[in-house]
Amino acid sequence: MHLTESVHRPLSYGKAINEALRQSMELCEDVIVLGQLVDYKSGVFGTTTGLADRFGPGRVQDFPNSENLMTATAMGAALAGLRPVVVHQRFDFMLYSLDAIANWLGLWYFKSAGKSDMPVTIRAIVGKGWGQGPQHSKSLHAWLAHLPGLRVAIPATADDAKGLLMDSVFSQTPAVFIEGRSLFPMTTNVPEKPYRVRFGQATIRRTGCDATIVAIGNMVPIALRAAAALERDGIQVEVVDPRTISPLDTATICASVAKTRRLLVTDPGWHSFGVAAEIVATVAEELGGELKAKPVRVCLPDSHTPMSATLEEQYYPEETALETAVRRMVRL
Amino acid sequence: MNSSTVPPEPMGLELNHKTILGLGRYQALDIDGMQAETLAGLLRQMLRLRRTEEAILHEYHPADEIRCPVHFCIGQEAMPAALSLLVEAEDYLFSHHRTHGYYFAKGAPMREFFAEIYGRVTGANQGRAGSMDISHEASRFYGGAILSGSIGIAVGAAYALQHRHSRQISIAGFGEGATEEGAFWEAVNYAGLRRLPILFLCENNRYSVYSDQTKRQASDNICERVATFGVRARRIFGNDAALTHRTLQLEMEAMREGGGPALVEAYTYRWNSHVGPEDDSDNEYRTVEEIAFWRQNCPIRLLEEKLTAAGRFDSVRRENLESEIAAEIAENFKFAKSSPFPHIDDWRTANWNPASPLADRLLETLTESEFDQYQAEAKLAPY
Ligand SMILES: Cc1ncc(C[n+]2csc(CCOP(=O)(O)OP(=O)(O)O)c2C)c(N)n1
Ligand SMILES: [Mg+2]
Repeated sequence: MHLTESVHRPLSYGKAINEALRQSMELCEDVIVLGQLVDYKSGVFGTTTGLADRFGPGRVQDFPNSENLMTATAMGAALAGLRPVVVHQRFDFMLYSLDAIANWLGLWYFKSAGKSDMPVTIRAIVGKGWGQGPQHSKSLHAWLAHLPGLRVAIPATADDAKGLLMDSVFSQTPAVFIEGRSLFPMTTNVPEKPYRVRFGQATIRRTGCDATIVAIGNMVPIALRAAAALERDGIQVEVVDPRTISPLDTATICASVAKTRRLLVTDPGWHSFGVAAEIVATVAEELGGELKAKPVRVCLPDSHTPMSATLEEQYYPEETALETAVRRMVRL
Repeated sequence: MNSSTVPPEPMGLELNHKTILGLGRYQALDIDGMQAETLAGLLRQMLRLRRTEEAILHEYHPADEIRCPVHFCIGQEAMPAALSLLVEAEDYLFSHHRTHGYYFAKGAPMREFFAEIYGRVTGANQGRAGSMDISHEASRFYGGAILSGSIGIAVGAAYALQHRHSRQISIAGFGEGATEEGAFWEAVNYAGLRRLPILFLCENNRYSVYSDQTKRQASDNICERVATFGVRARRIFGNDAALTHRTLQLEMEAMREGGGPALVEAYTYRWNSHVGPEDDSDNEYRTVEEIAFWRQNCPIRLLEEKLTAAGRFDSVRRENLESEIAAEIAENFKFAKSSPFPHIDDWRTANWNPASPLADRLLETLTESEFDQYQAEAKLAPY
């Protein structure tokens, strides 16, 4: 399905998630939503608003502050035929459930020798700004992508958010769905009908021949603005959005770098041992000798998130950081 | 039945691992009113489990063909035997690391069990899981080694059963050590809150590896604590197979009729080391007297003697039973040992199910995405 062929309209990222949940629950009565405060009018930042009224408390459940149990409950329910979506207001809160994720969910299919599936979707929202501080802003998506047996989506646009969430709900492999809170009001054209976006398929958000920026999650709009600024100086940047980091579409990334022969990766996670390092390593293995410049990572400093607004500004990379890095690469 | 009180202790004594030792020879085993079929079934299941465990113990070294950690349950046969007669095919059963008894209780096949611990492709999990992590999907049996981890999953299965107004129940088997995990109390709270159809089976064998329960828990009153969450809890002398059967029957029947969650704490004892066939007594964590007490109160012997005294069992029946079990074990060992080893061609598909039939049926695929780059990222509103 092409976007232009579909009946579509502009929708915000947050509303697209809400629509994905509503349509999933309409399509299949096995879909349930579990999470703290999911059944209140405000929903989780609006993403669950209206679901409890529409589908009743049996399918939209406020959950105790027991994150580990919440994941385990979703797993057992999935085993018994339901398709649960678990919601965490913050990624940081999900950390209590790492045992359920790493010791059970991710390896369930493997351990059963392919006889048992656990179609569980876990939504984790990542805060950014307004003093969220070190316990409301972490994005440890690299940790999750490190685990075999788990799919990890980190959509940057409303249409991808809807499509990847619906794919998560209706596929057999568990998925963690990472949502940048700062993206919630941003809009794109979103088809009205239910659809999926496939995991493991990157999209080229802008074409160019001088350098490739691989941008993850909420770094995508920033990378696109940087690319627009660089174009005014005659530098053509290609922006690749992997959309999912597990599986990672290394073919699209490598094809782009094979063309531009310069790579910058920008990831809203810490600099070291992260997704950016993984992408740089993959490209180095594939086309190390062909690069015209050393690859660059533009990520968060290896530090916990500060609260103060001035420190936040210093902490989160903006388009200027990307522009400077690309200019330096191209000049060489 | 009141959901938050602990029913009277059997034998009117405050049951714990210290008072039990004062019992001497257990005299309270009562078979009155129990069906012959049930009693024969209990004995048969216990003996089958015992002989199976002994066979593994015997084979483990020096052959070294079973190359995974094995937690034996010799001495703890009463609970799985009672469960095996009451659990239904459509119920879900989740086990901790000491899986064998529960695997057999759920009626999962012996040949796939042996083949699994021998690491063969014909195993229940094609040699990927082994003794601690074995599962058998078709039997709705699931094991796992992380303490308390499977209890929450059992809660989830109970959630789905309640959601669908099913009469089936979910069962979680574990040791007293698992109750020290926070995950356990999250599970108990939620089970009590929603009155889920989940049966918690706690086999209290006193030890977590070598460590005594009273070194790890402020009080050895698991039942009392669990009951405060609105989960019916009762503690029994777990080597009395008849009592265990009656207790489980009562709880499971009530649960199928919407009676809500329950916990049964069965005091019992493992005869062997915590793990493996080697002797771990040089750690000096338990006394010779304690081991002697529990061997004397062997669950099989207690029931067999009672049945024999009542004229309902004899040496001829015993011999028949023994030879039948021995033949079954021998045949399944042979199957396991002659089965091929597995090979994984593609590690990625071994970890992920690439098929998504439901998504294929329900959803079209969107092939492109567009984005207006000039939208500023929003600043958060106060949280
Ligand atoms: C989370 C976790 N911590 C520690 C262990 C190591 N461990 C395996 S078995 C065991 C003892 C458990 O005792 P209990 O729950 O009473 O069961 P038992 O072995 O006595 O049957 C321990 C500590 C583990 N498997 N999982
Ligand atoms: Mg124990």
